[in-house]
Parts: sequence; C-alpha cells; structure tokens
Amino acid sequence: MMEPTPEVLAAVLARAADGVQVLAVKALTGGASSATYAVDAERAGAAWPLILQCAAAGEVPEGAMPKAHQAALQQLAGRHGVPVADVVAVLEPGDGLGEGFIMARVAGEALAPKWLKLPEYAAAREALTGQCAAVLARLHAVPISEVAGLKLPGGRIGKAHARMFENYRSFGVDSPVFDLAFAWLAERCGDAEPSAIVHGDFRSGNFIIDQHGLAALLDWELAHLGEGAEDLGWLCANAWRFGVWQKPVGGFGEREALYEAYEAAGGAHVDRGRAHMWEVWGTLRWGLACLQMGHDHVSGRVRSVERAAIGRRVSEVELDLLHLIRFGGI
Amino acid sequence: MAEQIEAAALVTVVAEFLAQISGELSGARAFHAKVAANALAIVARELDQKPGEAEAAALAGFLGHEAGLDALRAELCGRLRRGQLTPETPGLLEALTDAVLAKVAVDNPRYSTFKRLRPEG
Repeated sequence: MMEPTPEVLAAVLARAADGVQVLAVKALTGGASSATYAVDAERAGAAWPLILQCAAAGEVPEGAMPKAHQAALQQLAGRHGVPVADVVAVLEPGDGLGEGFIMARVAGEALAPKWLKLPEYAAAREALTGQCAAVLARLHAVPISEVAGLKLPGGRIGKAHARMFENYRSFGVDSPVFDLAFAWLAERCGDAEPSAIVHGDFRSGNFIIDQHGLAALLDWELAHLGEGAEDLGWLCANAWRFGVWQKPVGGFGEREALYEAYEAAGGAHVDRGRAHMWEVWGTLRWGLACLQMGHDHVSGRVRSVERAAIGRRVSEVELDLLHLIRFGGI
Repeated sequence: MAEQIEAAALVTVVAEFLAQISGELSGARAFHAKVAANALAIVARELDQKPGEAEAAALAGFLGHEAGLDALRAELCGRLRRGQLTPETPGLLEALTDAVLAKVAVDNPRYSTFKRLRPEG
C-alpha cells in the first residue's frame, strides 16, 4: 500500500478537475476501520480543502460496505436533501491506495464537546433537534430499492439481535447486565424485515456544525438496512451527550421535540415504546464497542492505553442499561 | 505499617506526575498522558475500595449462596441465557444495580448516571 502523498493524490484528483495541485496531506485520525487525511489542494489557483478517507487495512473488513459504495450512498443521500460532504473522487485499484474516496472538507466544528458548550453555537444547538429530525425523515423516506446496487448490510431484526449476541459472546466476557439487556430486547424487538436506510452512526460526534446548525452528516460506514427508529435511539444514547446528560437528544435536545419534528417532517409515526427499545439497543451496542476496544488491547491487535481505558467504560454502559430498563429513560 | 510507600501511594504519585507532564506534551501524546493518569486513578480507587468484594456480595445476596465473583457472574449469565431469570424476576435489577454501582464508583465516579443512582445521592 502506498502512502497518500501529494503527488499520488494530485493524480487521483486530475480525474475530477483540471489544474489541480496538492500542497499538503495531513493524517487526522487512525481509527480501527478507516484512516482520514486532510488534503490541502488548489483548483485553478483557488484553495480546495478536501478530506481523504481510506480503509485502514486497504480494504474494508469482511461483510462491511465497500468504500466506493459508501461514497455512492453519501451522494445519494445528498440528492435526497441530506447535508453531506460532496464526493469528489473515488479511489481505483490503480491508484495504489486501497479502498477510499476524496470528499469536500466542509467548514465548521466537528468536535462535539466544543459545539455543545460554546456560546457561539447556541443558535445552532437551538435549531439542531429539528434539523436532525428532518434529515432523518428524509433519509428514511428513500425507497430501499434505490440502494439495490449497493452492498448495504441488513436483514431481519431478529437476525441483527442474534448477530449482536454472537459478537458479545465472542469476547468471552460474562456481563449479567448485558445478558439481561439481550433478554429484555429479545422480548421486544420482533423480527421485521428492513424498511429503511439507517445511517447507523447518527450522533453528535459525526456532525459538522456551523453557526446555523447541521452543515454535514459524516461517517456513513455503518449504514445498513433496518428500521428508521434505530437512528433516533442511537442519537439519544448517553455516551454521545458528552456530560450534558439532561439533554437526551445528543446533549442538545428533548426526545418529544425530536419525535414530533420527525413526524412533522414526513417521518413515520414514532411509537414511543419502540423508540425506547432502540435506545436500549443503541446503549448495548455502544457497550459492545467498549468490549471490542478492550479486546483490541487484550488480544494485542491494537495495544493502547486509550483502548484499555475504554474497556473500563463497560460499567458505565451497564449502569445506563439498568437505568433505562428500570426507569424508562436516562 | 509494613511498607512506608504502599502500592496505592505509588500509583497516586505516578498519576500526579503524568498529570504534570501532560501540559508539556502536545497532540495525541498529551491526550494519552491524560488517559494514562485517569487509568492510574482507577487503579488507586480499586486498591482502596475493592469493588470485586461488593459486587460479589450483591450477586451472592441475590443468588442465595457464596462463590467467587467469576462463578457468580457466569451463573447469572447462564440463567439469563436459558430464560430461568428474566428482567421481571423480583430483586434482580436491584441486585445488579448494587453490583454495578460498586464498579462505577471505581471506574468513573463522576459519571452522570452514577451520581443519580448511588445511595447517598
């Protein structure tokens, strides 16, 4: 695998525009599944700020959506009125960089702890619940036939539950609270066929926020076919409130306002009990992500003080699950 | 006192040291130094509070017999997986809450849900 140097990226971008120069490439994050770079380019002499997102190991893991399909889905969502970063170029095997794509770098604040607290984002926070509701209503209204050509994971909900339980058992950890939550969900989740495109990671940490609110929705790599309300539940998990726990919608809004705005924007009726079920589901899913990160460290796959420390956040998730199940919310 | 400097004292002073030098670092290293200091604070609380004993007591109290913590956890998980226990089983949610509160008191006592659910507040 080659490094994404300015020369290599200039060759990729030449497919998208004339007179492109790439001045600098800076690694931003090295996640478990993808690597992100800020690319400072120029087009016809004007600054062209871009982002390159590549699969961490050159290709996406087994069963995951190929990066080219992720790019296509992002563009499709954009055509349906979802604010996304415009995809500029998709990597090809001949580029030598593995799977990935280049998109516009949308101006704004990506760090949720900042925009959730700084006074200059007060108006943005005020508008955000309604904007999230409208964006999700639009995404969930896209007929799933439109993504028939894309490799989006998905299946019946009962199967998703079974897959999640299998994932939990693969870590060899016994958490009575996680088993309790799996049993609680099994009684309630049902076994419906997928009915909508679910973003799959719709949370405060994946928004670009400007003075007016949501400027772009990032990270489509966990998108799948399922039930739209899953995105509503995930957005309300306590882990994304960054300490602003009194505001259940992402640390900035109220549940009823979200549901009402979603319905008003053309989304399906939100069964409140069903939305609560998806909150428990999302909270458990975050708990499994914590176990995964602890496992990455213990197994030696990615030895890191950060991953080991996140493994210790499992107990927070257990407490949230108990609170949700005992008292119907957090 | 057998040791002038006990394990907890060493852990605490290393955590303080990491907190001091994190200001001189930048980027990912500064962030990881803070995470490392927090990790040592967890160790210090664990040495002090012995949460495993409190968790085992809560689980044993529910099950009605004593055993090691791993065995108690495995028994509860097995009975939940077989449907012999359910979320509706009387006393189960309360016992699990007591067990998990003991763990979060060590892992992150500043956590919002911990502050809401702990007995004294």
